[in-house]
Amino acid sequence: MKEIVVLLGLCGLVLAGALNPAQGADWKMDAAGSKLEFIATFEKTAAPGVFKEFDARLRFEPEKPAGGSLDVTIKVTSADMSIADVNKEIRGKDWFDYAGFPQAEFRSTDLRRKEGNHYVARGTLSLKGVKQPVEVPFTWTGSADGATMEGELTLKRGAFGIGSGEWAASNVIGADVKVKFKVKLRKAG
Amino acid sequence: MAVLILAQITLGVMAATWRVSPAKLELFFWHKSTGMLILALVALRLLWRLANPTPALPSGMPAWERAAARSSHLLLYLLMIALPVSGWIINSAANVPFRIFWLIPLPAIVAPDKPTADLVALVHGGLFAALALVLVAHIGAALRHHFVKRNAVLIRMLPDAWRTP
Repeated sequence: MKEIVVLLGLCGLVLAGALNPAQGADWKMDAAGSKLEFIATFEKTAAPGVFKEFDARLRFEPEKPAGGSLDVTIKVTSADMSIADVNKEIRGKDWFDYAGFPQAEFRSTDLRRKEGNHYVARGTLSLKGVKQPVEVPFTWTGSADGATMEGELTLKRGAFGIGSGEWAASNVIGADVKVKFKVKLRKAG
Repeated sequence: MAVLILAQITLGVMAATWRVSPAKLELFFWHKSTGMLILALVALRLLWRLANPTPALPSGMPAWERAAARSSHLLLYLLMIALPVSGWIINSAANVPFRIFWLIPLPAIVAPDKPTADLVALVHGGLFAALALVLVAHIGAALRHHFVKRNAVLIRMLPDAWRTP
């Protein structure tokens, strides 16, 4: 009997949450369905890589994005460009510098709607000890069991000292790096 | 073709021995592009050779010289194919994205696998050593025809108009 009451109470809470989402819901990332890619260029040919480990936390209400926040932590040392020699090189000081800066972060407390399901998160990217303002555009697709955030942006690797010294030249390894993400989210709590 | 192959050998040796730097990647890029160009030209050359009569060897050549010429020419063809193909396998196994002269994407011919790349890199080096030996014999023999035996084997490669009477 007691259990049923607790169950009913829980159902009520879930229903209330579904019917009254105006609070700015908290979302947690589902790592299995999420992907964070970075696509560099090598001799003008795409050279894709991926950060295997990262996490996103989001406070977001699609109908009222103001007041929300996005917090992404990226384990830089989980980078994989699927070329053994390259994976060895990017650990070094000239590239990601795994020893000095094992983690990168993006924090935004400025989420805005552009149109329809297109949004932008303005925030700060901390990468290899450099903090830079970055705008992250994304689309939001809600579903029965959660939501998906998707987007892409282009960063200048030089702004973060990725590829320093003689590697700063962009004729062999291009200056632009495209970042693509797909984040599956579930309502937290 | 000879000039391309000599340039290709120079690029390859420099690329392999250069310290890791943008210059090394640039050398590899040109080495790979040139290698694929050579492979295409060798294919054309083989078609030409199949469709046209092979120039006759000078009369009066001893049998051992004929055998040596035939087998070294066969070896040269085999190496001109095996070297670029093994390079192509290395590039595929190493999973390096590559477009020939920035233009033509090179499809992978084997699945990405680091041990395969390392093994075939050794084979590529061995084939290069073989090519170096055969080239010395080939060039030496051509010079011998010209300077010692004083026949037209070397000169006849030139177009008619270039030959001095």
